[in-house]
Amino acid sequence: MNKVIEVNNLIKQYKGMKAPSVDGISFGVEQGEFFAFLGPNGAGKTTTISILTTTLSKTSGEVKIAGFDVEKESRQVREKVGIIFQQPSLDPNLTAEENIRFHACLYGMCGYRPTFKLMPAAYRQKVMELAEIIGIEGALFRPIKKLSGGMQRKLEIIRSLIHTPDVLFLDEPTQGLDAVSRRSLWEYIDDTRRRYGTTVFLTTHYIDEAEKVDKVCIINHGKIAICASPEEMKRTVNFDPTPKICLPSLEDAYIEFLNGGTAA
Amino acid sequence: MSEMTLTRKNSRVFRELNTTLTVMARDITLLFKSPGSLIMSLVMPLIMMGMIGGNLMQNMAGGLGFDFGGFMLVGMLVNMLFMMVSMNMTSLVDDHETDFNQEMLVSPVSRYSLVIGKILGATFGAIVSMAGTLIVGVIMGITLPGGKLLLILALAPLFCLSGGALAMIMIGLIKSKKTANMAVMLITMPQMFLSGAIIPINQSSGVLMVLSRLMPMTYCLDLARAVVYAGSPEYDSMVMFNPVINFTAITVLTVACLIIGTFFYARSEKNR
Ligand SMILES: Nc1ncnc2c1ncn2[C@@H]1O[C@H](COP(=O)(O)OP(=O)(O)OP(=O)(O)O)[C@@H](O)[C@H]1O
Ligand SMILES: [Mg+2]
Repeated sequence: MNKVIEVNNLIKQYKGMKAPSVDGISFGVEQGEFFAFLGPNGAGKTTTISILTTTLSKTSGEVKIAGFDVEKESRQVREKVGIIFQQPSLDPNLTAEENIRFHACLYGMCGYRPTFKLMPAAYRQKVMELAEIIGIEGALFRPIKKLSGGMQRKLEIIRSLIHTPDVLFLDEPTQGLDAVSRRSLWEYIDDTRRRYGTTVFLTTHYIDEAEKVDKVCIINHGKIAICASPEEMKRTVNFDPTPKICLPSLEDAYIEFLNGGTAA
Repeated sequence: MSEMTLTRKNSRVFRELNTTLTVMARDITLLFKSPGSLIMSLVMPLIMMGMIGGNLMQNMAGGLGFDFGGFMLVGMLVNMLFMMVSMNMTSLVDDHETDFNQEMLVSPVSRYSLVIGKILGATFGAIVSMAGTLIVGVIMGITLPGGKLLLILALAPLFCLSGGALAMIMIGLIKSKKTANMAVMLITMPQMFLSGAIIPINQSSGVLMVLSRLMPMTYCLDLARAVVYAGSPEYDSMVMFNPVINFTAITVLTVACLIIGTFFYARSEKNR
């Protein structure tokens, strides 16, 4: 199969830091795969994603996205990826729709027009469609400042999907979302994956969201601890469920693993 | 499912021009949404042209032997463009603080398109201030003929591009608004005096002369004065260089500043 993400011995040491934050990690993600990159706070997940999406320089190692080198062919890489940053990256003074329009124009989806009404019909339709799925139709024309944190998050989600990227990086996409929105978001992402074969690279602290992924890599203190399918991971841990009838969830396995309770 | 589909256009030229337009339009939209900055754009001319210029006129212009009012108006117009464009460029620091820079930098577009878009967005506010300066000038009884005014207006984007590119060298490296505001003062103040906006510099020598020759604003001012004084007997005493030389110097300095500034900007965001 085609590796769409290839990471080889990646090291990142931030300026002025004594130790690397990402310390020689290697892994690969296949075309169309749903991939979860899990780890505790400060493990190096965001650092890795930033390097993979060309917004942070690496210290050493090799990183390729869709066969393009993140450093030497960064433009081609940017063309392929979409990202929801962990930190919000909206312009708080623009309206929700203006933020989306900005994004759509930079990705060459349509020529810039000064008002929503003047934008091409295809754009308007797509925006309304996405807004409806995520449930923010009512807020489209309000300034970001006046939206709740969850609504802002939903907007970032719409924005990252509007150019239908080949590889979608989601850095804790559902932080601050209510249960209903989380579910509709995942339904939408599943649908996008089915329709466009999008590769999804997910980090999250809600381990249940990673239950359905094809592959999990766990990073801890800047090093990859394990890469496996959720089923394999569950098998590697010595899990003793308290009510003896239930099977371990990925979350159980994950916590066991981090606490050092593995069989291996 | 819908018939209309939204697809990515592949033409590089379209993409880059569209990016520049979009980035520029954003800053113009933001200016209109922030009455404070709009008012600021109009108060600056009152201070610069009305107070500084007015005082100079009343207390110094008497024995100069040339029409100081006209000389100063051109100086103030160009100075206003440089000053406001530099100030408006500090919005790049706001973009850093809101992480909007990440959104721009992760896009598959040239960093130059982004920076030029930023400068052109800043230009809009600067031109508002230039218009304010003209109005204050009219109140003070100093005017320019319509045709010459239009020519200066046509040159304004070029002047702003060079002023913005110069400011970019500092702003591209700065991460806090406070430092950025100080850096702007640090550029615009010396620039105003060294380039001859309100005090003639044709007798400057030594370090001051060298510094003045390094400032893009020197050549912009000289070009503006060449336009205003063309065909008049004062031309030779007011204009230092041939317009072709001015034009070349502006282009070379602007391109150099743009390359350095854009490099700093892209690098400082990425090399953490
Ligand atoms: N700009 C920076 N300069 C210096 N150190 C940094 C910087 N950003 C992150 N770090 C450090 O790098 C390490 C990894 O951070 P990173 O943000 O990648 O963690 P993470 O896995 O995304 O954590 P979280 O789950 O909390 O988001 C941390 O120890 C952090 O302190
Ligand atoms: Mg993180």
